[in-house]
Amino acid sequence: MRRLAFLLAGIALLTAGCGKSSGSKNELGRLVIAVDVPVTGSPYVAQTIRQGVELATSNLNGGGGIRVGSKSYLLTVKLYDNHLSARRAVQDARRALDAGAAAIITDGTGVDATWQLAQDDGVAICITYDGGSGLVDAAARPNVFRIAPTNHGIGFRYAEYLIPKKLKVALLSDDSAYGREGAAEVARAFSANPEAVALTLTLPAGQTDVTPQLLRARRSGATALLVWGQAPTIAAVLSAARSVGWNVSVYTPPTGADPFIRQQLADHPDWVNGLTFASGRMTAEVGTGPFTSFQSQYESTYGADLVGVKTSGGEAVVQPPEFAMYSYDFVHVLVAAVTRAGSVEPKKITAALNEVTAQGANGDERGFNQHSHEGVVDDDVYFARFQDMTFAPAHDDPLSATLPPIPQTRTQ
Amino acid sequence: MRRAVLAAAVAALAAPAAGLAETQQVLLPGPAPYATPSPPLATVAPPPWANLTFRIHSRSDQQVRVGTNETGRPVSLRVLQRLHLTGTGDYLIVVSAPVVDVRAGEGSQSQPGLRRGQILWSGFSSRRKLLAADATLRPGAAAPFLPLRLEARRDGDRYALTITNATGTSQISFEGAGRRKELARLLDRTRKESLGRARLSSAYVTIEGLVTQRAGRSEVVAPLRVEGELRFPSAPSAASGGTISGRTVRFTAVLGDERPLVHRVEVRGGGEPKLHVEAKPTNLVRALTPPSGRTWADAVERRPLPAEALLRRLLDARMELVRSDQYRAFLSNPDPQGRNRTTYVYLTAPASVRAAAAKGSDEASAGGPLMVLVAVGGAVLAAGAALVAWAHS
Repeated sequence: MRRLAFLLAGIALLTAGCGKSSGSKNELGRLVIAVDVPVTGSPYVAQTIRQGVELATSNLNGGGGIRVGSKSYLLTVKLYDNHLSARRAVQDARRALDAGAAAIITDGTGVDATWQLAQDDGVAICITYDGGSGLVDAAARPNVFRIAPTNHGIGFRYAEYLIPKKLKVALLSDDSAYGREGAAEVARAFSANPEAVALTLTLPAGQTDVTPQLLRARRSGATALLVWGQAPTIAAVLSAARSVGWNVSVYTPPTGADPFIRQQLADHPDWVNGLTFASGRMTAEVGTGPFTSFQSQYESTYGADLVGVKTSGGEAVVQPPEFAMYSYDFVHVLVAAVTRAGSVEPKKITAALNEVTAQGANGDERGFNQHSHEGVVDDDVYFARFQDMTFAPAHDDPLSATLPPIPQTRTQ
Repeated sequence: MRRAVLAAAVAALAAPAAGLAETQQVLLPGPAPYATPSPPLATVAPPPWANLTFRIHSRSDQQVRVGTNETGRPVSLRVLQRLHLTGTGDYLIVVSAPVVDVRAGEGSQSQPGLRRGQILWSGFSSRRKLLAADATLRPGAAAPFLPLRLEARRDGDRYALTITNATGTSQISFEGAGRRKELARLLDRTRKESLGRARLSSAYVTIEGLVTQRAGRSEVVAPLRVEGELRFPSAPSAASGGTISGRTVRFTAVLGDERPLVHRVEVRGGGEPKLHVEAKPTNLVRALTPPSGRTWADAVERRPLPAEALLRRLLDARMELVRSDQYRAFLSNPDPQGRNRTTYVYLTAPASVRAAAAKGSDEASAGGPLMVLVAVGGAVLAAGAALVAWAHS
């Protein structure tokens, strides 16, 4: 009988323990999202990624956070500055992991060194800017994901777009890591059609006068330039070509849309006219509605990203928050994965990222799968052309022709 | 005068009766509904966003490759699916299947994605696009939906292969008083669509009076055209159900369409054969051939075929054609109106695959997760019983 009394006492103690657990139902947990971006190396990129993440988390937190089982979690953003340095990115990754980050969102700096650290803790890394090919590999780097147009996709789409035009293309790239990676992708994409390539040339990154190289390209018979490089390189190429009166078509990767180019060429707005760049499309088939709504929410929170130039009509030009959209979308995919996993354990969240889809800011579906950790597929790469300091989708490409232009001017 | 009054009275009585003798238009089977949920295979319901817009259409061609062991049991399953998209616009496609792995098939213009139980396609189609998937499926989950069941047996130097049409299912149907001429016209239309290998178009039949459920259930079978060969290491001495050509025994059969549902090939000598059997869902010929004349309309003109029999034949034939259409898509086509074609190929699996499958089934019979659960459950129960016993001691 005494034994029974002890047993009942034990059960009562256990029940009391359970009571405490159920009492914690209203307790709010914290789910940390680390943002590692080049705040001091590339401030525009850093700002747009950070603001995309913060906008998504503040929306979600405003709705009470996310519910996992019987507990609610608020999303907390921790910002780290990688200075565009892989070494700093490693330090940042260590600090983020120590802080209990469930995921790390980055521009891509140092991912070759940080993915393994994060993988040891089962933490996912998502790249929302750099399109480098080796960075994402679902089999070899199962914790690395990306929502941004890939260099591979852009190279492939350029080959598909330019080769039928029967142009003789000079493939120019600068000697930055970005330029080298892009050059490799473009070379691969054009390798089956060598007749379309007039010349392949590397330009020194940061050099403001590339006139000799441009003249060499002209002598080679080039009728178009595909320039893969940082924004200053593209600005230098445009300056050199137009200043010698060569009105050749210039094609670029997403860096062609960087406000820096328009700022540099503000005195010669006609030099920017016709510049074509490839990037991930900002609008889905459903139309401009979802993206415009996202953009107005972004601008009402942070203000418009003014380019610093005006149209011929005197209207201020703004930069649509394309890359903010990618980091915003990743937060939503991450939350879908947390819900799917039913856990805030990083390993489970990372595994669930392969199985979920969330609606993106532009109305498109974003998600990953076991074979592909790319959230922007090659088919989503479109071409846009500048006219009067703003750009609009090109009409001579089947995908781009279906896309509506995004308003980019504000009356001041 | 009396007659006139009588006639008027009869007419007056008959008038409300005629009003009560209702006729109704009853929808015939075809092109839907399918008798069973699968095929096409379905592991999870496709998400609401996975729909093709009206701008994109899709045609599906599939080859299902079934690796069999010595007894004819499926031990491996691969599907090569080619989706031919037409139209310009975005596509986001989820093909639900018990998929283990998938990669792009030959000529594919995009890469397929893989999720648990799903093959994914996403991108943009500019007028035309080919999406080709080479998917490996879990045979245990997919094999029950294959159209043929093979059974191979060896007894001394005698080898027997029995091929059975496994598409049979039972369905409820209806009966009522139809109109002979209309039924004949509907039979002719159904026959024309069957011979033209077109998917059935919707049709209604007029029934006078009540429509009732037909007693019992109808056995519905998709007609299959089967062609195959058995390659022996040495020339067999005799064969039935097929013809010997050197070291090979070839056979063809239609299983269904008022023909037997089983085909048996018996071979004496030759050793252990390698099997290759192809099956395709086919159209109905015999079941829709009129008893006389060129058409059912002719046949009804020539002799008084009973309307009840005509309606029964019409319904049975249409249900079989719907069943045949169902087996033309082993994996789903994202376009419900799209054309489907599937060839089922049964092959002797390589020895390594057969050995791996045998090992897997041995392990499954020896234990596995269920056994672990049973063991854990038993241990918990035993502990509970011991605790109660101790408390009462």
